[in-house]
Amino acid sequence: MRPVERPIAAMLLLSIGASLALAAVYAAGGQPQLEGVLLAVSLGMLGAAVITWALRLLPQEEVTDVREPEPSSPAVRAAATAALERGEEQLTGRRTLGRLLLGALAGLALVALFPIRSLGPRPGRSMFHTEWQPGTYVVDGSGRRVRDGELAVDSVITVFPEGYGGSPVSLALLIRIDPAALRLPAGRETWAPKGHVAFSKICTHAGCPVGLYRAAAHQLLCPCHQSTFDVVRGAAPIFGPTTRALPQLPLRIDAEGYLRATGDFSAPVGPGFWELSRGTNRRDAPASS
Amino acid sequence: MIRRLVLWLDDRLGAASFARKALRKAFPDHWAFMLGEVALYAYLALVVTGVFLTFFFTASGEDVVYQGSYAPLRGERMSAAYASVLRLSFDVRSGLVMRQIHHWAALVFVAAIVAHALRVFFTGAFRRPREINWLIGTGLLLLAMAAGFTGYSLPDDLLSGTGIRIAYSVLLSIPVVGTWAAFLFFGGEFPAPITIGRLLALHIMLIQAFILGALGLHLAIIWHQKHTQFRAPGRTEDTVVGSPLWPSYAMKSAGLGLAVFAVLAALGGLFQINPVWLYGPYDPTTVSSPAQPDWYIGWLEGALRLMPNWELRGFGHTIPEPFFPGVLLPGLLITTYALWPFIEQRVTGDRQVHHFLDRGRDAPGRSAVGVAGLAFMVLLTLAGSNDIMARFFGVPVETVTVVLRGVVLIVPAVAGWVTYIVCRELKAAEARPAPAWHALRRGPGGGYVAEDEER
Amino acid sequence: MTSLRLTAVAVTLMVAAATVLGVRQRPAAPAIAPSTSPNGELRRGADLYALHCASCHGTAGQGTDDGVPLLGAGAAAVDFMLSTGRMPLADPRQPMVRHRLGWSRRDIDAIVAFVVSVAPGGPPIPAVHPEGGDLARGQQIFAANCAPCHGTAGQGAAIGEGADAPDLHEASPVEIAEAVRIGPDPMPAFDAGIIGQHDLDSLVRYVVFLRMPPDPGGFSLGHLGPVAEGFIAWIVGFAGLFVIIRLIGTTT
Repeated sequence: MRPVERPIAAMLLLSIGASLALAAVYAAGGQPQLEGVLLAVSLGMLGAAVITWALRLLPQEEVTDVREPEPSSPAVRAAATAALERGEEQLTGRRTLGRLLLGALAGLALVALFPIRSLGPRPGRSMFHTEWQPGTYVVDGSGRRVRDGELAVDSVITVFPEGYGGSPVSLALLIRIDPAALRLPAGRETWAPKGHVAFSKICTHAGCPVGLYRAAAHQLLCPCHQSTFDVVRGAAPIFGPTTRALPQLPLRIDAEGYLRATGDFSAPVGPGFWELSRGTNRRDAPASS
Repeated sequence: MIRRLVLWLDDRLGAASFARKALRKAFPDHWAFMLGEVALYAYLALVVTGVFLTFFFTASGEDVVYQGSYAPLRGERMSAAYASVLRLSFDVRSGLVMRQIHHWAALVFVAAIVAHALRVFFTGAFRRPREINWLIGTGLLLLAMAAGFTGYSLPDDLLSGTGIRIAYSVLLSIPVVGTWAAFLFFGGEFPAPITIGRLLALHIMLIQAFILGALGLHLAIIWHQKHTQFRAPGRTEDTVVGSPLWPSYAMKSAGLGLAVFAVLAALGGLFQINPVWLYGPYDPTTVSSPAQPDWYIGWLEGALRLMPNWELRGFGHTIPEPFFPGVLLPGLLITTYALWPFIEQRVTGDRQVHHFLDRGRDAPGRSAVGVAGLAFMVLLTLAGSNDIMARFFGVPVETVTVVLRGVVLIVPAVAGWVTYIVCRELKAAEARPAPAWHALRRGPGGGYVAEDEER
Repeated sequence: MTSLRLTAVAVTLMVAAATVLGVRQRPAAPAIAPSTSPNGELRRGADLYALHCASCHGTAGQGTDDGVPLLGAGAAAVDFMLSTGRMPLADPRQPMVRHRLGWSRRDIDAIVAFVVSVAPGGPPIPAVHPEGGDLARGQQIFAANCAPCHGTAGQGAAIGEGADAPDLHEASPVEIAEAVRIGPDPMPAFDAGIIGQHDLDSLVRYVVFLRMPPDPGGFSLGHLGPVAEGFIAWIVGFAGLFVIIRLIGTTT
């Protein structure tokens, strides 16, 4: 073996060794780090060998290609244009048929769009209404009804309407704060019995759950784009790209001490959409801020 | 033996005449021309590992109860898709390393495309007659990003599911047709169980079909038009110089391919990526911090985080805030990017054929626009990690956000302006003759005398 | 040839080192021996309190402009703040973060006993038995209540306005339970009505499990997710390939 060939031989031997080692690792049950590294060595040494061979063993020759100009010769272009035009001539001249042909093609194009409508249901009621209704019990994640007194001040819990069917539009946060600290918008004085406030958990920016609560400051933060909401003022937006407050769920405490809703959220939940304003004129709740 | 094969093919396809020219075709050897090849080999790695993954993935959003070997999730309800990814990661030999190689390959694939696109842009290789390939290349970049986004959303874990939720909201924000677009594309109100199956169909079939077709065209056009090259003594616009395809260039290319696979295998074995078992299954009632998409979607995430809370409301309708950073901005950027060859032709009036490449300084205007655009995209991508930066630097995330809003507009403008001046200066300096050097010698009278030696 | 060979040797060494490091596991965090009942000398506690706490919290825990009143804070809160070194806080405007301890367990118990005697009320030090908890239930509770602020691997995160949800790897089972029950600023509180005793045991068991999270894929990159992965893709993956194409290609 000539001296210049030795490094290449060494690389190829390493590659073979790594392949065998990889086979052994695999047969023994596998291990991700060893699999990755041995595969890398096997491939890499083979690649290094091939590259070294190409750069050091092959004669370094240069070839030159001549670029033909892209446009064809005028004669060829003329012949091509003539062929096109001859075809066109043979087709035109039958105006009515031509128009009907276009009409038929347009009709088929329209028909081809129909299966797209089958892809999904019409956007509808759920954009404006959730499963919360007057009298719905507030339940926690395991379906247990929430009572007054279970939630300490400065606590937060994710709640659902009883009988929750699984659509996350009804998702809500129940927070208990000192009633004296509340500064809810006008018309919501009765919505927070004993400091229990409930808001939609779906961020009004892009729909992520607003999962972070800074208890002492009474602020909800969405981790996706940092929209921040002030709980004491009805989850009004105070920072970030969101433009609307989290819709509030009106609550009351019934005779047995259970928390129940008195209606649906104050506004459509979640991110905005073209028809949003249609949902803000509600009979059962004041418009959102 | 190969000779017998070529002759056998020639008997049936007339291959020898093609082979005669093809095997001696010149391929320029400049390292910058290999960036596209790196992307190509990364794509090959994606296909090979991807096929393996499809043999294990269940594209269903229906709930199952997990009973596999990962204890903290045993007995929990999750989608069949997520459960299949857990099974592949923990209970299939070499499953985890294949998954990780596939995901790292996707990140490196888009990185290589971006580097390659930057090279093509700054060297003006998109000029006539290569505008078509620029458009195809733009399409490939967008398809690669779409493939990545659909791909990492397949496991239906908490992190990627949050990203899908955001995509749904961005679709909703489109005026007039937004709600319809969202419901039709996703198959119903979010989260719809059928969405995962659609993502799979897009990821392994529709997007790949387009990528393969576009890639084939892209390579065929390069082969036909021949590669561009840098100016050098002895080269002309009418010739192209390089290594012959066989055996020299083929070996170098094969070696590069093996090197790409090797790097991806090393990444796949040594660096954990997308540990979906820690994120947990997607649950629309909760979210994790920090929450970012894969790097090449980061610019959209950054735009969504930086955009101030501006919304359009009137005449009973709303154009919600996510529309502007999520639809309008990328629409404008992508359109400008795609049409750049034509924009440049109109602005400079240069409609000549070019086979020689520019250096950055040869086109100060283009370089300035390119640097400004690149700075803008990089800053937007960084803005997508504003909460991580805030924690790292010990600064409130609100401060980081507000500062970045200004930075993302000012820095690209300044960078572009500086680039323009530097390029113009370098170009002018080349046009001036270099000053002559003279050696000075102490003369007999005590003064200095120039020896008339020129450097 | 020399540069190629050197590069090959360097790469081999780096890969070997990385493999060794990647397979090694993270050491367990030290735990502070839990104390479930405030047994200490009241006198000793009073003296320590007067020396270190009274200037901000008042001589009888009534509070001042610099420190909150301790009435109703509870043994859990006092024990948590002292055990994690959050207190004493030299400057009341600084955030309360974990510090190395200057106290002994005996000192902490004494101060707790004293404070409870002069400012009674509030949650007691919770009993916690992680070995009786269910790991999967703990994962569920953690994902629903804790991961949004503390991260899916308990690595911590910024939560706005300069506040920081810390990483959980150094917290002992008792400290975790105390934090859950009292909600130290800025954290909300989760009392027994929200997270019952079995759920608390399960949650603590899962948080302790996260000290050595399962990272079979290799370097965990701080569990920062796609941001860290993106950096590695560019500065390890692409950079490595860049070096290789510079070696293969020419510069003309």
